[in-house]
Order: sequence, then C-alpha cells, then structure tokens
Amino acid sequence: MAETTFEPRVVGFLCNWCSYAGANLAGTSRIQYAPNIRIIRVPCSGRVDPLFVVKAFQEGADGVLVLGCHPGDCHYRDGNYYARRRYNLMHGFLDFLGVDARRLKIDWVSAAEGKKFAQVVSDFTQQVRELGPNP
Amino acid sequence: MIEQIRATAREILQNKTVDLVIGYEVGTRGATRPAFICSADEVDRLIWNDACTHNLTNYVRGKRVPPKRDAPPARLGLVLKACDARALNVLLRENQVPRGDLYLIGVVCEGMRQDAGFATRTLGDLQPRCQTCTERVPVVYDSLIGERKTSEVFETSEVWQELDRLGVMTPGERQAFWDAEFARCLRCYACRQVCPACYCVECTAEQLDPEWVGIGICTPEKRFFHTMRAYHLAGRCVGCDECARVCPIGVRLDLLNAWFRREVQQTFDYQAGIDATTLVPLATFKPNENLEL
Repeated sequence: MAETTFEPRVVGFLCNWCSYAGANLAGTSRIQYAPNIRIIRVPCSGRVDPLFVVKAFQEGADGVLVLGCHPGDCHYRDGNYYARRRYNLMHGFLDFLGVDARRLKIDWVSAAEGKKFAQVVSDFTQQVRELGPNP
Repeated sequence: MIEQIRATAREILQNKTVDLVIGYEVGTRGATRPAFICSADEVDRLIWNDACTHNLTNYVRGKRVPPKRDAPPARLGLVLKACDARALNVLLRENQVPRGDLYLIGVVCEGMRQDAGFATRTLGDLQPRCQTCTERVPVVYDSLIGERKTSEVFETSEVWQELDRLGVMTPGERQAFWDAEFARCLRCYACRQVCPACYCVECTAEQLDPEWVGIGICTPEKRFFHTMRAYHLAGRCVGCDECARVCPIGVRLDLLNAWFRREVQQTFDYQAGIDATTLVPLATFKPNENLEL
C-alpha cells in the first residue's frame, strides 16, 4: 500500500461569542490555517461538558480543541471559569485513562484574535499529526 | 459498644424521635447486612463489628418516601461510620435530605476487615480505605458511641501504590490496563446503585433523549460509562469504596475515584464531605486562580 501522510481529525468546540467570531475573522481576513478542524459551535465553553470530549475521542477524533473567551470576558459572565476548572481536572483524568494529554487543548481566543485562532489550530493540528492516529 | 447502639436506638424509637433505625444485623457466612428496625422490641437485632462495611447513607433518600400519600416522610435513625458521615455531609450539602429528619448514631470505627465482602488484595487485615483512614470519628453525629483508640494508620495503601504505578506508565500502557479492566465490566450498574452520591432520578447512562451515552456492552462504550461515572463524582466521592466492593467482577473503580480525590485535594485543597457547607470545587470558581490547562 502506498504510504499516505496521516491527516488528523480535529474536533473544535468553539464558543459562539468569542472563538467562533475569531474563526470568522480568520476566514474573512484570508488567513491560512489547517483544514483538519471540524468546528462545532456552542453557546459557551462552559457548555462543553467534558464528556463531549470523551465522546469525540470515542467516535474517532485524533485531537479535541476547546476554545472560549478569555477569562473575564465570558458573555455569560462566568461560564469559562467553570470550564477552566473542569478541564484542569479532565485533562489529567484523560491522561490517567490512557489518552495522551497532548490530544486535548483548551485555549482562549477572542473575537479579535483571528490570527491567534489560525495559529492555535495550525500548531495543534501539527502536534496531533506528530502523535499519530488516536489508538 | 453494641449495647450502647441498642440503647440509643431503643431510646429514640421509644420517644418517637425517629420512625425507623437503620443499622447492621448478623448476615450470612460471617458478614453483616443492613437492618431496618421499626420498633423498640427489635433493637436487639442490631450489632456492631468489623464487618459492618456497608454505607447506610445510601438508604437515606429512598426510605424516606412516605408510604401513604399525605403521610409525613419517615424520620430516620442511622448508624454511621466515619466515611459514611462524610457521604451524609455530601447529601446534606446537596439538599437531598433535611438534617432535622435524621438522628445520627455516630460510631467510632477502627476499620473494616477485608473479607467483609471486599476482595483481598493487600497485606493486612483492613480494607485499603481503612488502612490510611486518619479520621475514625464521624464528622457529623447526634450521639457518639465508642472512643478513639490510638490505632496504627498506614502511610499508604495498595490503592495509592497502584495509582503511583499507573502514573509512571506511558499513555499506551495505561490504556491497555484500563481496556482490560473495562472489558470485564458487565454494565450491571451495581456501582451506581450502591453509591450514595449517585442519586439522579434519570441516570445519564440510561437517558434516551438525547441518547448520547451508548448502552452497548462493548469496551469503548463501557469506557465512556466509567469515565462519566467517575467524572460525575469528582470532588463528591468520599472514598467509601462501596462501588469497588459490590462490583461482581472487581473492576478497579476505587482507582478511578481515588485519582479524582487526590487531584481535587492537590488542586483545590478540598476533601468531600468534611463539612456540609463548602461548595464542591466544580460548582464554583475563583476568578484569579492560576490553573494549568
């Protein structure tokens, strides 16, 4: 079989108010970023139950990216503070269960950070590409 | 101690402080079983020994449902060990039972022995949770029975050693370990039924709308179920290890819960059930905390 380069499947949970708008900005600004990301728009990073992430891995995602507003900028005032605590625990727990911790990333991207969005997605995709397919 | 428990139970039943006392009675083959005592004549069934391993707080909610429609819910007397008292605090914190309807007979516990329904895994006679227990005296009670002895407390137990052993493995090795554990799971949900903190009327695992927790008996879906179960207990599990005790094929559920207990303790300096007022870490936040992501 011919050797094909591995292209990771990355699922991105993006908060509607900051990160999704940031992705929009990246698009309208014609900034190039890795096309591997499948974006799921959610109201808030606090909506992203860590079990969504587990489900994504179970269904074959190679990496999961959770992006929300910067702490203090949440549209719902404090959703991302809860998310921060949850993912602080869940990150380690997934690692304990045997999912490489580098396959999950949570970061903050504001609506004005189109460039940062492209950077985060590209860097993360590259990181997952190096890790190989999720077993 | 048995006589004191019986005397207290007799007193609160006679003066109608409670309608029902839940304690322990002699079971089969050297084990004990939960006893439900409704009248003062029956209190002599109650016993206390090192096989009273059940966490009776699990009955607190169900047994209070009134038998008749307009009848007031039963007031309960409950025999409590140290770990059970913490579980009760979790329930009190989450408003699952009014404190006024309970009379708590706290018992100083010197540890439960391994063969009291718990698969023998380690050296020593005590169950792993009891080996490292520094508490012994219940954190909440109405009357306390027994005195604290200066008994030996182990530095570490098999559970923590196993956590450390898993901690130095590669992710792939850990996944192999957990796949082997989860592959044996029957999905009988005994772990959920026995857990005092798992009280949702409709469990996520059986929720049909949306049905996004698969009910399949295959390893990926079982892994998902166990991840969910452990995560829902993050910061709420008191470490009574009932889930691991009742598991018919011995899945290491105690390790999953212990991981979260250690992590929550280290990150948020929080231990479940120490009091009935502090919020669970995942239900609150501090704006300026510096958490690693």
